[in-house]
Amino acid sequence: MNKIIEIKNQKLLRIINTLVLISVFFLYFNTLYANGYTEKNTNQSKLFNIGKTASKKEIAGWDIDVRPDGHGLPDGSGTAADGEDLYDEKCSSCHGTFGEGEGSWPKLIGEHSSIKTGISPEKTVGTFWASPSTLIDYIHRAMPFTEPQSLSWDETWAISAYVLYLNDIIEEDFIFNRESFASVKMPNFGNFVTDQRPDVHAIRCMKNCKKVEDISIKVALLGYASGAEDADQYTSGGSNSQKDETPMEIKKTLGQETYDIACKICHDQGVAGAPKIEDSQAWEARLKQGIDQLFAHANEGFQGTNGFMPAKGGQSQLTEKQVNDAVEYILIKNNLQMEKQ
Amino acid sequence: MKFIDKNNIKSEAKKLKPLDRRSFLRKAAVITGVSSAGLLSASNLPPNIPSWSKKLGRAVNVNPYGLPSKYAGNVVRRRVPWLTPDNIASISFSPLAEIKGIITPNGLVFERDHGGVPDINPDDYRLMIHGLVDRPLILDLDDLMRFPSESHIHFLECPANGGMEWKGPQMGRLQFTHGMNSCCEWTGVPLKYILEEVGLKPEGKWILAEGSDGAGMSRSIPISKALEDSIIVYAQNGEPLRPEQGYPVRLFNPGWEGNTMIKWLRRLEIGDKPYYQREETSKYTDLLYPYDKDRQHLKGKAYEFSFTMEAKSVITFPCPEKPLKSHGRYILEGIAWTGTGKIKAVDVSFDGGVNWVEAPLKGAVLDKCWTRFSIPFEWKGQELLIQSRAIDYTGYVQPTYNQLRGARGVNSVYHNNAIHTWRILKSGEVQSVQLSCRCDDE
Repeated sequence: MNKIIEIKNQKLLRIINTLVLISVFFLYFNTLYANGYTEKNTNQSKLFNIGKTASKKEIAGWDIDVRPDGHGLPDGSGTAADGEDLYDEKCSSCHGTFGEGEGSWPKLIGEHSSIKTGISPEKTVGTFWASPSTLIDYIHRAMPFTEPQSLSWDETWAISAYVLYLNDIIEEDFIFNRESFASVKMPNFGNFVTDQRPDVHAIRCMKNCKKVEDISIKVALLGYASGAEDADQYTSGGSNSQKDETPMEIKKTLGQETYDIACKICHDQGVAGAPKIEDSQAWEARLKQGIDQLFAHANEGFQGTNGFMPAKGGQSQLTEKQVNDAVEYILIKNNLQMEKQ
Repeated sequence: MKFIDKNNIKSEAKKLKPLDRRSFLRKAAVITGVSSAGLLSASNLPPNIPSWSKKLGRAVNVNPYGLPSKYAGNVVRRRVPWLTPDNIASISFSPLAEIKGIITPNGLVFERDHGGVPDINPDDYRLMIHGLVDRPLILDLDDLMRFPSESHIHFLECPANGGMEWKGPQMGRLQFTHGMNSCCEWTGVPLKYILEEVGLKPEGKWILAEGSDGAGMSRSIPISKALEDSIIVYAQNGEPLRPEQGYPVRLFNPGWEGNTMIKWLRRLEIGDKPYYQREETSKYTDLLYPYDKDRQHLKGKAYEFSFTMEAKSVITFPCPEKPLKSHGRYILEGIAWTGTGKIKAVDVSFDGGVNWVEAPLKGAVLDKCWTRFSIPFEWKGQELLIQSRAIDYTGYVQPTYNQLRGARGVNSVYHNNAIHTWRILKSGEVQSVQLSCRCDDE
């Protein structure tokens, strides 16, 4: 019996010992805290003091924005006359020779009155943009589409001047630079207002909110699958096309779609030694090597005597079939499709 | 190279011997997408033992980063090729009909890119903060992760979501009418901590946020938002941001239009005025041509800095992708969200908005977050016009198309939060429709 009590006492003793140890550790830990491991007992600010101070040179390299009040305007200058050749070379394949826009790429010119009348408004640089700073900033920041941040500031001033000239906003010989910037007024300046939403105050009506006979139903013209990449995967659901108003863009052949994505940039203008799309003789000569050879070069890339063709035009996400479709599209355009067999 | 053309399959097959012909047709069926599913499946149904029960499955960790079942191949983002001139500055849509709960899996979050998706080595990542601050700083990814982090579940919606529907119904699937919208748990540093670190000057009122992608995407953000709840985000749904969501770092402005949430964030410049970048003047402004008589003075004007995503909802079942297959009892389900805070209530109509009934909210109701609603209904084969209407805590009620067009016209492209209508046909198929459009009435 005594023995049992003794064992029990020993157990108790061990527990007490452990508790004492824990308390000592806790006290010690608390001392550590008190000695500066927590914020409450430090008189320092809450700053982390991490990271590295940005030098003026580092900031200058990245600080590319330009503001309507002239903040950030760069050095350099240019005229529309300076910008014309640059524009033709770097911009016209998408935006059109006169800013009219190729395909569905953005137009740069338009009717300013269309913004007011509400009928097919043309939201272009000339008709909608409120400040020339936005044009300078954007051209330098994001254009040309395939080579962003490649233009010098002089080139940026010159191309900006040319786009303003296409819109009859400045004269051809207007020297566009930091000094003349403030004198350029955009037609649509002053037509932006602060967001007024909520601008609709609907009532939460629950019963008999309108007359059943007043309801007319308008059905989606395009049908649900139209235009989707994998439209033909869907065979069930509303066949709801009331009339054929399929936009022309949808009717483009698959090959043209790929062409516009991957090939147009070089093959429209003959950039980097690429045969132009309408150069039938060049394509006929290539076709003599056989269609498979053409497909292979388009898919795998090709180093020719005049230039270099990147694999899939640099658009590696395209499937082989999409690229082949584009090759066929070029041949069809040149009446060479019969040669395929 | 052999071409297999759908139209030529039969004539091609005729040239072959019977045995070859069968194999040719089988291959052609695979290539052209003619399904032969269903022929084999009966052997896996009761009382038979399914084939996978009588053998071993795949080994563990065959795909170190897990993949969905090969039978879930339909649950993917999709593009609408004609919407944009190329597939680099383009959009993919989330498959809302297939997504359950309030979290969008990372691979299904919609994308809107303006200059393609860059691949950024995190070792080369830097965030520069400068302008009206005491200490201009350059932070690397490790620095950012030393700041206190927070995780919040918020929706992410492109303000152009539904932009194709302003003039009339155009897209016929939920994925394309509402799919520029996803909802994730976002983790990162509240921007206010970083502004404390650099020492924000009192005259600093706006922040230019700039991406390092080929579009140099840039937007001006008022300092009040940055101090309220903007987050510098580096993780979504528990893992690093996906490249198409801005890996390694993006800005997140809860409840605001997705375009302000600059991806591949490289620079924050603090200034005293907004910067009027291309994407906040030429685009992402709302051109007005109001029909309402008391708003005629706004014709030709455009809202600028229209940041907040107003209350909106949509029914995700039934929908064009999920038709009704037989008569009987169903549970209608949908999602509601608002950039103003929490969703207070959602109403549902089965008769094109003549009568409404409140649909119970389902699961968590969080701030600036998808909120689920559901309500049972009996379908006896009649035609229905189903709608949902969200209400937020400011008292705002999701408007009809007529009301929205009255206030803004049809040219504004962005911020279409109108009540959407699905028409259930007698066959059970579901159409996307619009009701009594004022632009037709007048």
